[in-house]
Amino acid sequence: MEQPLLNRSTMIVLQPSSLKESLKLLNENPDAEIIANASDLWPRIKNGEVKPKKLLDISGLVSELSYVKKDGSSIKIGALVTVSQLEEESIFNEKRFSAFKDVIAKFGSPQIRNVATVGGNVCAASSSEDFIPLLLAFNAKVRLSSVDGDRYVNLEKFITGKRKINRRPNEILTEISFEDPGEGYISAFEKVGRRNILIINLVNMAVVGKIKDGKIEDIRIAANRIKGKIPERAKNTEEFLKGKTFNENTVAEAKKVLSEEVSLTDDIRASADYRKALLLAMLERLLFKLRGEQ
Amino acid sequence: MAQMLVKLNVNGIEREVLVDPDDRLLDVLRDEFGYKSVKEGCGTGDCGLCTVLMDGKPVLSCIVPAFQAKNHKIVTLEGLNNDPLMKKIQDQFRAHQAAQCGFCTPAMEIMGWHLLNKKKEPNKQEIKEAISGTLCRCTGYYDIIDAIYDAGRPE
Repeated sequence: MEQPLLNRSTMIVLQPSSLKESLKLLNENPDAEIIANASDLWPRIKNGEVKPKKLLDISGLVSELSYVKKDGSSIKIGALVTVSQLEEESIFNEKRFSAFKDVIAKFGSPQIRNVATVGGNVCAASSSEDFIPLLLAFNAKVRLSSVDGDRYVNLEKFITGKRKINRRPNEILTEISFEDPGEGYISAFEKVGRRNILIINLVNMAVVGKIKDGKIEDIRIAANRIKGKIPERAKNTEEFLKGKTFNENTVAEAKKVLSEEVSLTDDIRASADYRKALLLAMLERLLFKLRGEQ
Repeated sequence: MAQMLVKLNVNGIEREVLVDPDDRLLDVLRDEFGYKSVKEGCGTGDCGLCTVLMDGKPVLSCIVPAFQAKNHKIVTLEGLNNDPLMKKIQDQFRAHQAAQCGFCTPAMEIMGWHLLNKKKEPNKQEIKEAISGTLCRCTGYYDIIDAIYDAGRPE
């Protein structure tokens, strides 16, 4: 059926076939919205929440931006790697990457995992994105490419607010990388929502750490909310735990530190108190997982 | 921008169609190709009812921009009409009365087909995981799970 002409979309779609061409087009059209497989943006375009005039569709760059590789001690993930592709990477079968397995298993739905990209998840920059706390706990950085060259930004500094990222208008996020923590490290991730999958979570948390001879040698903790509405590291709790002997008392004390570190507000999905209770329970569970208990 | 001319390959048929830049693959499949097995439930990528196969992988056609479907092979339930495995699945759906209103049935059958192609004789947990992104509001899922389970067993 013909729609009235006035309602028709006038979006301009730019579909480059190489990264070089993409960067040039974006430099000429800095107002363009970048899309990969658009699984996050498309419903928001359809319901009128966002009204981009131009789209830069980088989904054609899979040959350049779809890789997972180990480069020295760094793990590098191309921005267009989908969640399903990540699932097939054997490196994440190693124990220190179990948190990746945990995130992937409960990510969106099987259909969403086939299109959602890691780069898109990071750029969406909302507290419901499971990859953000995970990558924060791995101390990841992002590579931003433009016609002027590449620039690396720590993920912590990249996400500045809800759906706000530290990206210049002519830059494309092309890679996410982090140092392989190495042998002896363990990681774990959990989330809680009203349903197991296909749900916007209330709280998620990732931990990466090393416990040796009963002592916490190193630990990084990140959750979707700590102080504000964006994913962050729980640095006070990390500092408290470092060097401590792992026992039930330490875990109880760590929960107190976290409880003082978080400052949450009520919102439509949950009260601040409930979220806090979840965060504390999750910390306890993840710490025991780190020690190798289920 | 005016409409875009996009060459699509759906169920083995190549056709050039004019799409608006904000058209969804779902709209094109239903309105241009007439494949009505592709249902719109939520339209926001949550319910799974618009599932089709893109290069063999299940995706939600309500969140795939129509212009991005070029260079990919799209298959809807209609494209699996003569497939022996799909026939087996559909026989089991009938035997278990796994459809009530029927609105989720095409998506459920596609997810079942995709699973059985990847894994022979899946267990019930694997079936639950495979259909975890496809919502049914009538059956309570048990009949659907049983149907896919039995379709995966040798006769």
